[in-house]
Amino acid sequence: MSHQTPEPEDLRRLQTRLDEVRRREAAKNPQSAPTPMGVAFRFGTEMIAGIAVGGALGWGIDWLAGTRPVFLIVMFVLGAAAGVLNVMRAAKEMTEQAAKAAKGAPSVPDSEDEE
Amino acid sequence: MAMNPMEQFKIEPIVPLHIGGYDVSFTNQSLVMVAIVAVATLFLSFSVSSRRLVPTRLQSMAELSYEFVQGMIQSAAGNDGMRFFPFVFTLFFFVLFSNFFGLIPGVFTVTSQIAVTFALAALVVLTVIVTGFLKHGIGFLKLFVPHAPLPLLFLLVPIEVISFFTRPISLSVRLFANMLAGHTMLKVFAGFVIALGGAGGILTGLAIAPMLLIVAISALELLVAFLQAYVFAVLTCIYLNEALHLHGH
Repeated sequence: MSHQTPEPEDLRRLQTRLDEVRRREAAKNPQSAPTPMGVAFRFGTEMIAGIAVGGALGWGIDWLAGTRPVFLIVMFVLGAAAGVLNVMRAAKEMTEQAAKAAKGAPSVPDSEDEE
Repeated sequence: MAMNPMEQFKIEPIVPLHIGGYDVSFTNQSLVMVAIVAVATLFLSFSVSSRRLVPTRLQSMAELSYEFVQGMIQSAAGNDGMRFFPFVFTLFFFVLFSNFFGLIPGVFTVTSQIAVTFALAALVVLTVIVTGFLKHGIGFLKLFVPHAPLPLLFLLVPIEVISFFTRPISLSVRLFANMLAGHTMLKVFAGFVIALGGAGGILTGLAIAPMLLIVAISALELLVAFLQAYVFAVLTCIYLNEALHLHGH
């Protein structure tokens, strides 16, 4: 290389400064939270998918066992329950991610370099 | 004909091909997919070819995307999730590039086809199942057994099984529906511009309103394109995490 090699110390200082700028920028526009439409879409698909898969499984079992419509009805109800379960899990997941994003840790340890 | 907002989703064969009674033609969709893979591969291999300590802009982009996916996997699936880094990275980049390519006017949107997104989602779920059984053997089935009294299990186990199989559906439908809705909306408003512009009189001046809206929606679509690729990859990580660590719910 023609120009001088940067010292590790310099690099670390640069990284600390970069982190600071990033944190400032992140504080300025608290993005990363999904849009309301995204949330609605997520919950909607989870719920519908639960009902659809439940219904389809029930229909399949009935078709194999010739018990129509017993399993279709049972699995449809269970599918709706699974849909609600999915929505609850998705909501929990989103809350956790929002909490994690709010913290925001620096990417380099400040002075001591232990990893 | 050009006014039909669904026209853009039509798959047309470029090189017709039939093997064993199946239509396996090389279509406009295949062409875009090949382009996506080629561009992503070229971008990543070209940008890191210099390997400088202080990265150039291009190298910085590649490094940032590496770190982005790395952070995503480690926060969702822990350190042993890193063994799936190539899988998640490829998946994320394929979906991301498909979404971005689709925003270029005239380019076919690969992820607006349920067949494509479902194939990707099915791949994810199959990977989860195979990983789970390889790592935990038959114990992987404990994933479907929550902590509950025995009589309740008769109800809860089927619910958990259904919940598991909704994953490929919700994963694929979310991506496909987002892209489909966004692109249809863009074309509908573009249709308004043409219709109003040709109407004459004061209506011609009004054509500026949907035009401005298209600009705004395009910006929103850019965000959605990234967000959906991100969501797809994050959910993949979360599912892989369950297969690796078998968290009881």
